[in-house]
Amino acid sequence: MKRLRSPNRNVRARTAGGIAVAVCTAVALAGCASATQSAASANSSPFKAVKQDASAKITVWTDSTRLPEVQQYQKLHPTAKLNIVTYDGGADGSTYLQSKIQLFDRTGKGWPDVVFGSPTDVTWASRPTNPSATAFAAPLDESLVPKATLDNFAKGSLSPCQYNGHTYCLRNDIAQVVLWYNKTLLDKWSYQVPTTWPEYQALGLKIATEHPGYLVGAVGDTNSQESYFWSSQCPAFQLTNPTTLRVDMQDPKCTRMASLLDSLISAKAVSTQGFFSQGFAKDSGSKVAMAYGPSWYGQYLFNAAFKTPAGQIAAAAPLTWPGDASPATGNVGGGLWMVSSHSTNLKAATDVATWLTTSNANQGSAPTYPAYSPAAKVWLANPTNKDYFATDISSVFEQAANEVWTGWSNTKFSDATAWSSIVLPGLTAGKSLTSLLPAWQTAVSNEAKANGYKVTNQ
Amino acid sequence: MTALAVEPPINASSRRAARRRREGSSASYFFVAGYTVLLAAFGIFPTGYALYLSLTNDRGQFVGLNQFSKVARDYRFIPAFENIATYLVMWLVLLVVMTVLLAVALRSWMRPGMSSLLRFLYYLPGALAGVASVLVWLFMLDPDVSPAGWFLRAIGQESFAATLNPSHLPIIFVLIAFWTGAGGWIVVMYGALNNISEDVLEAARIDGAGRWQTAWHIQIPMIRKWIVYMSILAFAAGTQLFIEPQLLQTASLGRVSSTWSPNQLAYVYAFQQGDFNGAAAISIFLLVLGLACAGVLVTRSDLFKLEEQ
Amino acid sequence: MTLALRRRPNIGPAKARSRLASRVLVGLVLAVVALFFVLPVIWLLLAPSKTADQVVSDFPLSFGSFTQIGRAWSHLFSFQDHVLLKWLRNSAIYSGGSLVLTLVTSVPAGYALALTRFRGRTTLLVVTLISMIMPSATLVLPIFLEINQFHLIGTVWSVILPFSFYPFGVYLVYIYFATSLPRDIISAARIDGCSEWQLFTRIALPLARPVVALVAFFSFVGNWNNFFLPYLVLPNSDQFPMQVGLNQLLSSTPSFNPVAGAGLNITIPELALAIIIGILPVLVLFLVSQRALVSGMLAGATKG
Repeated sequence: MKRLRSPNRNVRARTAGGIAVAVCTAVALAGCASATQSAASANSSPFKAVKQDASAKITVWTDSTRLPEVQQYQKLHPTAKLNIVTYDGGADGSTYLQSKIQLFDRTGKGWPDVVFGSPTDVTWASRPTNPSATAFAAPLDESLVPKATLDNFAKGSLSPCQYNGHTYCLRNDIAQVVLWYNKTLLDKWSYQVPTTWPEYQALGLKIATEHPGYLVGAVGDTNSQESYFWSSQCPAFQLTNPTTLRVDMQDPKCTRMASLLDSLISAKAVSTQGFFSQGFAKDSGSKVAMAYGPSWYGQYLFNAAFKTPAGQIAAAAPLTWPGDASPATGNVGGGLWMVSSHSTNLKAATDVATWLTTSNANQGSAPTYPAYSPAAKVWLANPTNKDYFATDISSVFEQAANEVWTGWSNTKFSDATAWSSIVLPGLTAGKSLTSLLPAWQTAVSNEAKANGYKVTNQ
Repeated sequence: MTALAVEPPINASSRRAARRRREGSSASYFFVAGYTVLLAAFGIFPTGYALYLSLTNDRGQFVGLNQFSKVARDYRFIPAFENIATYLVMWLVLLVVMTVLLAVALRSWMRPGMSSLLRFLYYLPGALAGVASVLVWLFMLDPDVSPAGWFLRAIGQESFAATLNPSHLPIIFVLIAFWTGAGGWIVVMYGALNNISEDVLEAARIDGAGRWQTAWHIQIPMIRKWIVYMSILAFAAGTQLFIEPQLLQTASLGRVSSTWSPNQLAYVYAFQQGDFNGAAAISIFLLVLGLACAGVLVTRSDLFKLEEQ
Repeated sequence: MTLALRRRPNIGPAKARSRLASRVLVGLVLAVVALFFVLPVIWLLLAPSKTADQVVSDFPLSFGSFTQIGRAWSHLFSFQDHVLLKWLRNSAIYSGGSLVLTLVTSVPAGYALALTRFRGRTTLLVVTLISMIMPSATLVLPIFLEINQFHLIGTVWSVILPFSFYPFGVYLVYIYFATSLPRDIISAARIDGCSEWQLFTRIALPLARPVVALVAFFSFVGNWNNFFLPYLVLPNSDQFPMQVGLNQLLSSTPSFNPVAGAGLNITIPELALAIIIGILPVLVLFLVSQRALVSGMLAGATKG
């Protein structure tokens, strides 16, 4: 066959081959550089503010929940010049803020002065997005916020804000996970409120048989993994050092929670829909006997979404596992405020952030539990935060705030994406949580690697 | 919307051979100047720039094909292109079969008044292209608010979450695209059918051909060029899927992957990972796909006329 | 004789029945398809008249009340200091501005390509065809970087200029002139001493009205609905066009973003109303232009 090839074609083939060789040689000679991104230098030089202008207008980006608070600040400080913008607040793994800051870093202008964000946002905001840029978040501990103020935040609540020895944000609220229950229902059925996970499981199965249709939880929300797996101390997002992430969903502490939930899901005591999904409130809102979730469930879920009458809902301390040394619980969200390092009016910007996170005037009546301890006391004393509940939630909230497990790390990527895009569709399709753990582990590992982490699955 | 059509000059006015002395040469440059500047700035330059970025790294060093192999090895790369391929196949088949069938049915079975009303109804959702169409379909796919909720439940989709199962996504995007885009094409196909002279159809009828036979043997072959043209434009538009999965991702609270389509992956590369070079490499992959398609169209078919004969 | 016989062939009852059946079948299919196209539109028009609860609990195609439409409007209007009006205004500026630029550049270019000869004409035409079919979204990232180089990010030009590049429009004009303006007329006018500019303004332009309308329609609708480019190059919500604004509204809606949107009164009815307002200009264009559109698009074919 070869010999039959026309000379013309032969020439052409040889030319093509020649060109290919030439290109290859050129490439080899050029010593093809690596395609990996250059790492932004970690040892940031001391923070240098841009030229300040005490009368400059400052731009505040807030989520819509916090919007009234910012408006309140404007009302109380009529001389402050604010430009208030609402955005999604970084909820549910949104990357809107990050994308926009990338854009501003490219253009060299346009940054908002104060932003509300999620703990995930601090992981990129505390370091430069590219070698020539400055990290977006200003180090607040450097002569912006007094140390005394920072020290007053609840233990560990500022840890998502800290990087390389500096504090880059002020935590707005903490969302410690507790056991919510409908006291009226449980009293009527004369059930004991569980204190351990096995008790919770037993009660759930009992409710499923004796009162079918009633629920003791839901796993279909984007943050359900934080309520359950974080509380179970599952090493799903555990930084063993700043660059190595441990993702081990086969750890007994993960599988115990998965199989517990599987039994409740198959008994239809735990819903695979989300509490916040469209239609849940209408169909099952009145049938939630228990819910394991963050401190803001009380007002947001039961009061606002389910419209459960006042005096029915109560909270109990986080559940424990028999044999575990210390009690642990999860944390669902908890926003924070950052100040831009590019702000031309750092003083005004810091003032807004400080007022929003620490003032009694604001936090005392905030919709969520304050991270700033003195404000949390005022919050708990505020009758409007408690009147709705059947029992006093103060001690439960305070206890849970101190029990948040620190082994669930704040990573550069949201812990919600893999859960929502891999596990939740699987659950909806009828698969068991236990069977989905390997897929979840793979998804998280992939995401971690794409974000530059070394991953260990041990 | 660019997908809506233009008549390819099937048989343009054939004037005498155009090998004349240049007519109005200097004025011509003046006429095309503005457009040429825009073409250079937003067509040619970005293409070249994307190519440059894809061959270098962020330090400006030449990396050969390393950017391409880097993004191709990304665990999100293959699924994104698989997703888009599934979508394109379903979309093109549905589009071609349905628009042609509906246009033929409207032309041959309906009275003119009824036919024009139906065409208008089909065409109307085209006004809701882009974000609006996705928002509307978010509600249509939620059995709790959808007017077709009973239907969704009947086929086993009990909740919004169930409807948004990853394996349903290509179907959902096809539905959305069909809802906004097909009407315009039906109108165009109908117009093309209308242009087939009555004599031809009459002759077919005389030969005893039924309406289906006429459609299959006469009408559809005569609008073949249109069908090819539509498929190619729809293909080029389909590779660009961005806003649909992006909005579904937001609305489904992350159940839809944020890197479902290649364009989204490029976006993530650029704006989350700050890697414009990697993003450019993905763009080049898409561009080559689109250009191959454009090349076939321009060279292999006689759809576009460059010279008057 | 035979002709007349064959023209009205005697059809037996069986054949008539099958013809009736196929007619019913076709009618049914067309009706179902019509339902598919229309139902979402009807739902959309009705949604703002209901409260968020009614949207979920009432019959999907029921009408609520006019007062509720007013309430939805006032919620929507007060969202972020009437930002909705800014979005509408922005959309108008971006689509309108680029429409003017598109027409100013593409009509003369299409004319020159069709009716004059000059060096590079074929190249220009081929490049135009290619860029017309090329997936434009893939060029958005390099365009973003390019605009950034010129420090235009965040300005109206960052949207208007890329929007103005509209090869499809040039091609439409080219086809129109190539097929419907006889070269002889131009030649005759040239002999009569018309300058090239006069040829264009006195002869070509007056004839071009249908194709100008066509280009204007496609350009306006396409730019009004464009999302990706403004989404990338416009950092502030004050500068968003309607489409990007709708995206922001979506992420503020409690039904889709329970955590972020709680406490905000942007719910399904408000969102539906925003969609209706956002597409209104395009909808009006669609209502008035269908006929013109078809005749414009098929102009070439009838001439052939």
